[in-house]
Amino acid sequence: MTKELKVRYYKPKSEFKLDIDDIQNFVYDMSRCIKCKGCTWVEHTYMPGTKYTTRCPSATKYLFDSYGAYGKMRIGHAMAEGVLDWNEKALEIMYACTLCGACDVGCKRNLDLEIGLTLESLRVKAVKDGVGPMPAHKVMTEKIVKSHNCYGADHKKRREWVEKDAAPSAKADILYYVGCNASYENKGIARATAKIFKACGDDYMLMTDEWCCGNKTFSVGMLDEARSIAERNIAEVRKSGAKMLITSCAEGYRMWKVDYPKLLDISTDELGFKVMHLLEYADQKLKDGSLKFKKSFDARVVYHDACSVSRLCDPWQPYEGKRGWMGCVEPRLKRRRGTSGLYSEPRNILNAIPGVEFVEMPRTRENSFCCGAGRGTEEAFPEFSSWAADQRLEEVKDSGAEALVSACPWCKNNFTRAVNAQDEKVQVLDIAEVICAAIEG
Amino acid sequence: MAITNEIYTVLETIVGKGYISNDPVVCESYRSGPGGYENGLGYERVMTTIPGCIIMPRTTEEVQKIVRVCYRNDVPYVPYSTGFYGPKSHPHVADALLIDLKRMDDFLLDEKHFYVEVGPGVIYSPIQEECMKHGAYVVIGGGGAQASAIANLIGDGWSPLSHRIGLPHRRILGTEVVLPDGEILRLGSLAQGEDPFWGESPGPDLRGLLRGYTGVRGCLGIVTRMAIKTLPFQPERLVPTGISPNTALELPEKRVKWINFTVPNKEAQVTAMKNIGHAEIAGAVTKVPLFWRALAKAECKEEFWDLWGKENEESISNFFIVRVLLIGYTSEEQMAYDENVLMDIMQEVGGIARRTKPSDESWIKNADSAGMWLMCGGYVSVDYVIETLSQATEHGESYADVKKRYTPPLMPDYGDPGWFQSFEMGHQGYSEFLVYWDQDDNTDGVDQFYLDTSKMNIKERFYTSLLGPHQPLYLTGPKYGPNYHTFMLKVKNEFDPKWMSHPPVPLAHDVFVNRAPWMQHMIDWEVPKDLPK
Repeated sequence: MTKELKVRYYKPKSEFKLDIDDIQNFVYDMSRCIKCKGCTWVEHTYMPGTKYTTRCPSATKYLFDSYGAYGKMRIGHAMAEGVLDWNEKALEIMYACTLCGACDVGCKRNLDLEIGLTLESLRVKAVKDGVGPMPAHKVMTEKIVKSHNCYGADHKKRREWVEKDAAPSAKADILYYVGCNASYENKGIARATAKIFKACGDDYMLMTDEWCCGNKTFSVGMLDEARSIAERNIAEVRKSGAKMLITSCAEGYRMWKVDYPKLLDISTDELGFKVMHLLEYADQKLKDGSLKFKKSFDARVVYHDACSVSRLCDPWQPYEGKRGWMGCVEPRLKRRRGTSGLYSEPRNILNAIPGVEFVEMPRTRENSFCCGAGRGTEEAFPEFSSWAADQRLEEVKDSGAEALVSACPWCKNNFTRAVNAQDEKVQVLDIAEVICAAIEG
Repeated sequence: MAITNEIYTVLETIVGKGYISNDPVVCESYRSGPGGYENGLGYERVMTTIPGCIIMPRTTEEVQKIVRVCYRNDVPYVPYSTGFYGPKSHPHVADALLIDLKRMDDFLLDEKHFYVEVGPGVIYSPIQEECMKHGAYVVIGGGGAQASAIANLIGDGWSPLSHRIGLPHRRILGTEVVLPDGEILRLGSLAQGEDPFWGESPGPDLRGLLRGYTGVRGCLGIVTRMAIKTLPFQPERLVPTGISPNTALELPEKRVKWINFTVPNKEAQVTAMKNIGHAEIAGAVTKVPLFWRALAKAECKEEFWDLWGKENEESISNFFIVRVLLIGYTSEEQMAYDENVLMDIMQEVGGIARRTKPSDESWIKNADSAGMWLMCGGYVSVDYVIETLSQATEHGESYADVKKRYTPPLMPDYGDPGWFQSFEMGHQGYSEFLVYWDQDDNTDGVDQFYLDTSKMNIKERFYTSLLGPHQPLYLTGPKYGPNYHTFMLKVKNEFDPKWMSHPPVPLAHDVFVNRAPWMQHMIDWEVPKDLPK
């Protein structure tokens, strides 16, 4: 009983920082979870019925409360207070999670707890305590160190996707950050993006020597390594003189816009250049008339809101303050609630393409069900990753769509695997490819 | 008795390997604290512990087998649906088996006979959505859209929509219960067949086993299946809009509409509610506490305190609101008629209609109970009373006086302690009183306030709905009975002679008061020597 009382009564009223380096910054958040499970259920206003009721892949698949954010908060709290130690199950619980942010936006409707940052911080703690990340993550992160890409592929081949008719310039305001996936695996996305720039009348350049963004390194809790990558990459872009960095990868977008500033304790505005996703760029160009769709794309289409271009992409602002009575903080904290997500942009684009019959899935926008690929999940828990994609594919089939469009190459990969495994007829496309098809035919 | 390897293996064969765990990390995730309803209070600290094992059955038969194993081996167990209800739904004794019922999520809608049939893993908002797709609706209980419908209905199960839909004892139909020793009990028409359309059956109405504010905690069995009455709704779709946290249902104004009125005083509030009920109009009639209005306006907890800090007893005591939901159940014409009647009633009491958004943020589909923790992190409904509308306001005044004595640690409410509303067309008045606190403060006063509330109700002869699970049975039983407590204990002994189902309920609060040093000076009733230690 004495041990338990210590857990309950130790509630420091002290300075804190939104810094995932130290789990003690999130003891308050872990201690205030009320198990309303707003993190897990689809927001009730949008609840589509008795099918597709949840938005947390981990809690939905593994069922025990320990896999939902509410369970992880209790486990993390006990660990932070030193009354529970890591074991194999604890490690599995912390990593069999897509860090998709569904829990964070759910909680910030109800309680404003920093669930997403807490989950990231628990992984950092796992690494610091010498138990994390998972073996598969270690293999992958070593590849990133050696080859500057997560596949361990030949670094020299990173630009092999480039085609003459949409080649980069030596100097331009736009720097296209391609990312590992479109450089090596889904080269069509990189080519389509380059063609979109040209079709809109813009030049673009590439980094002189593009390296992996370090998303997976960061996501599995290896902060020091991720910080080195961030410092290097930001310096390269600043050196290039680019005014705008555009990605076609959702994970890359989140890294540049949110997690690099988080790692370096600066705000997104202090990066020195603007970070955009292709979705924002194309939507703007569509509105100002520079992007025109001449060809028809005849299909019934659904759009999957990739987590990193939706609920995870509010800009970062460092915060340091004090927590007082009733948990109020000063100075005033503008909480990141996922409201800056790119929700309207893809819908504007797809609805503007002739021939597209756009339909929504039951779970959309901040309520989307993650595909299961991201943030170290597919490397360490491939079966869970496939399961999540299968779940989403059920929604696609229920909506009667012929094409599933996303704005993230990792989603595309995972969905393609699911479609192939089920021998389905659904076409899986990146939005860059759809836009390009509507330009070129 | 501890759950030995042998017992664990037997349980594992019932549900399969993937649905049972005694890993300490998994068990920790089922801790009542650190957060939750009544979080940080003495009851939680003194009475709860983590379970020794978690099991997730899929079927009623599996629940029966699990319970039988427990009974045979003297393993205490606790049923658990969503875990939202805090300390009282978590284990109170070491090495208990927690039976997590979330996999029991079967759902069936009978459109023709207006009922749904659910398992304990089904929560409210999906039920409401399915109902509305088929021209029907249910109450989303005050416990929230995320509450298990079964758990909520056996505990309370009402909301402002109860103005028309009514109280839960009218809506619980055929029900299946696994008794503490594993025997199955089928209530209502399920006793005679597979059709659960009707709640009553030959013999005494045993739905009282589920309710009575003891059943809610699984002390007398586990409900594994329940049919819930639905009522006809209007046909137009209520469209969800907005991005979280600012989401709402867009209302078709000719069929569904909230109107907020300010009225001159409390008497006008009560008269308006009575007359609305008498005229048999509206889908909901309610007066919410003013701090909820501040909460709804605030973007974050800090803004809430900015807004609420500007209020005082005077500003609060001169502000009276009545919130009315009109529903055109049968036609636009019926809606127009109801609105005309409403305006006449409000004119008579001096009510003024205020501009009201054409949307529903809470009650029709999303009862937002979870958001009520935002401003402080600690919350509980200390008391709720179902009597008459005029009595609701009297009770509120007494309650406000007691509450004032315990503020702090309670959050200041400036004399507006909760909400009241009309149930069953004004035949009942419902009042509910809420307290909030900071867990980092000394919360002994919150525990003591609980008990003082009970004493106030006894002294003032108010009927409280919370006398069972929230108060010492030996305090309330002789006063409400005179033999309420002995009757309860006889029922418990009859159905659960070994006290394996969520011990030591129904004596848990008695045990808490006896164990907690800061509560003992309040004991002025007779306590038997043989209470569980």
